[in-house]
Amino acid sequence: MTPPKHILGTFDEALASLRSNVLMMAGLAERSLDRAIKGLLKRDDNLCATAIADDEEIDQLEKQIDKDGVDVLLRFQPVASDLRRVIAAMKLSPNIERVADQATNIARRARKLNKHPPLPEIEIMVPIQTHAMAMFKDGIDAFAREDVDLGRAVVARDKDLDYMNKMANRKLTERMAQDPKQLRGYLNLIFISRCLERVGDHATNIAEDAVYAAAAEDIRHQTVAAVT
Amino acid sequence: MENAVTIEPPMITPASAPQQQVASDSEPDAAPERAPAFEVERLSIFYGEKKAIDGVALTVPSKMITAIIGPSGCGKSTLLRSLNRMHELVPNTRVEGKVLFGGEDIYAPDVDPVVIRRRIGMVFQKSNPFPTMSIADNVLVGLKLNGVRDRAFLRERLEQSLRMAALWDEVKNDLHKPGVSLSGGQQQRLCIARAIAVEPEVLLMDEPASALDPIATAKIEELIHELSANYTVVIVTHNMQQAGRCSDYTAFLYLGQLIEFGSTTKIFSNPTERRTEDYITGRFG
Amino acid sequence: MKNNQYPSWRKTKSALAAMIAFVCALLVIAPLALVFFHLLREGAGAVSWSFFTELPKPVGVAGGGMANAIFGSFQLLGLAALAGVPAGVLGGVYLAEYGTVRSNWLLRFVADVLNGVPSIIWGVVVYGLVVLRFKSFSAYAGGLALGFIMIPLIMRTTEEVLLLVPTGYREASLALGISRWKTIVYVVMKTALKGIVTGILLALARVAGETAPLLFTAFGNRFWNHDLAEPIAALPLQIFSYAISPYDDWHRQAWAGALVLVVMIFLVNILVRVLTRERLARVL
Repeated sequence: MTPPKHILGTFDEALASLRSNVLMMAGLAERSLDRAIKGLLKRDDNLCATAIADDEEIDQLEKQIDKDGVDVLLRFQPVASDLRRVIAAMKLSPNIERVADQATNIARRARKLNKHPPLPEIEIMVPIQTHAMAMFKDGIDAFAREDVDLGRAVVARDKDLDYMNKMANRKLTERMAQDPKQLRGYLNLIFISRCLERVGDHATNIAEDAVYAAAAEDIRHQTVAAVT
Repeated sequence: MENAVTIEPPMITPASAPQQQVASDSEPDAAPERAPAFEVERLSIFYGEKKAIDGVALTVPSKMITAIIGPSGCGKSTLLRSLNRMHELVPNTRVEGKVLFGGEDIYAPDVDPVVIRRRIGMVFQKSNPFPTMSIADNVLVGLKLNGVRDRAFLRERLEQSLRMAALWDEVKNDLHKPGVSLSGGQQQRLCIARAIAVEPEVLLMDEPASALDPIATAKIEELIHELSANYTVVIVTHNMQQAGRCSDYTAFLYLGQLIEFGSTTKIFSNPTERRTEDYITGRFG
Repeated sequence: MKNNQYPSWRKTKSALAAMIAFVCALLVIAPLALVFFHLLREGAGAVSWSFFTELPKPVGVAGGGMANAIFGSFQLLGLAALAGVPAGVLGGVYLAEYGTVRSNWLLRFVADVLNGVPSIIWGVVVYGLVVLRFKSFSAYAGGLALGFIMIPLIMRTTEEVLLLVPTGYREASLALGISRWKTIVYVVMKTALKGIVTGILLALARVAGETAPLLFTAFGNRFWNHDLAEPIAALPLQIFSYAISPYDDWHRQAWAGALVLVVMIFLVNILVRVLTRERLARVL
């Protein structure tokens, strides 16, 4: 149920602008992440370069969102759900920015890997990437649609991502022992896996902030059983 | 969706697992054992045929600041005035229900409104120091006209009231000057001093700062905060930021009905009722 | 530019209207000015120290004054105030503070009717009630008649000034736990005091010149009055009896008396204006 409009039209416009900036930033970050992984999997340096270049626009959006958020707080003194939405937007933006940073890191490592012959172990990254991307998308969705259940679900999935990362680490470490000539490559892959795991962490933060905005509930730092 | 207010001993788990935290609902420091100042029971007030207050049930906590908010015409002034029977100045009013003050119904047939009003004081929107009286006379008029003659006592009460109203330092050398010679903010503080000079238990304030500039308003708000240490304060305001700043509890009234009552923090961060939320976020009213 | 100037016909119309208003204002002031000048011309000559200090001389003898009449008028006004002020003020208090819509309507209607009753009727009423009963004309009767005239006047003006006192003061006082009557006396009436006093002064100025009601109540007296239960001289009465007499000397004294009377009323009105200005500044 959409709430009725504010009597003050400029208030609605400011909130809408803030929200659309967040969603645009998220869209860009998602695209960068996608490009970085595709650049790795398809050994395409151009995709990597594009992913790295887009980071700047995302950084600017982070600053813009913070500025706009403070502006709304200042001018309109929002309360209740309006206040929570503004605060959530301002807390989401650094998380999205760091997702984009992780995308940049992945792209850089991918470029390094692309200089050498392909490693079959790259495929290990695919499920991890899928899971992380899904978490990020769903987290943003939970914010956009104010979907509390979706937010909680995202938080629960972080555990799985951690597990997948741990397994990937183990596998790659084994390979490093077996094939020391490819050490650098495997190290890069371990690093990329960790970047994806961090994307999951940021997605979790985003989901937690989305639940706060929608339901005024602070679900951070709780056990998984308490959250679901 | 309620946060569980449970306190469990921390689990002895490996460092990686997060611990269960206490989820707290931020309630102001209420002493639950203190009897409430007012218990309003199914109160309805009629002006002629028109129902201005419709079945309001409310508990006003003691020595706390309670704000009453709502759109114009919702009955907040009527409700406030009904707490010391001041609404009876309008002819043709009828009351159903009870208002218990200190456990006794102030609308019982044998209760004298004059006595009630000595215990429940009131400050109005437009400051109204008596024009024919000096500052000192204004402050002491409630005492003098009720027969108090002891000059030493009066002098002491004069200083005490003016100090509590944060006005003593500004007027201590000008006590003989007419009450109306002060600025707007000072006049309002004079009216507050006048009200507390008779040592009521409760102070009712009907939009006390709405006619004042921001600095004077801030001084009044600070004063209200200090007064709540000794008095129960009930304040009607149409300025929601003021209600948010000043009060411990807030009641939201709409069309004569009490829609929601709770701690100010809860009302302004996560109200239960849709209408409360729509009003405080400026979606109607 | 054409649009910024007044068209010439509008200017003429304005000037014409202003002139008509001015002429009308003159027409209003003219009678007062005429009266004053006439009185001054006829009476100023006879006003002297002896006028204020001597009793009237017997018929035919020149000289004498109206000392007893002037003093008598003051005495009568004092008695009238005693009779009229309490009833009038308290009546005004009732209308302003206690009355219901219905009772107030009735009271105001009656007061307005009484205000229009010719003053001679009051004289007749008091003649029947007091003079016939005590079988003598007296200052008391005269004072009572004048007092009756004052009551509805004072009642209305008191009510008016009390209603001017803002409700906020009443509310503030009641909210302090001060009883209703104390609120009315110590807060409301105190605030409106100047207004009440001017109302009383205006009523006194009005009845100071009444002649008809005194004709058969106070009756008049050529000597000093030593007992208020006896007839008493009054300035308007004396003017009347001198004016209809055949003696020139008495005519001149009548003019002088009229002049003195008008000046007295004039002074009271000025006093009222002075007090009124201060009152307005205080209450607002």
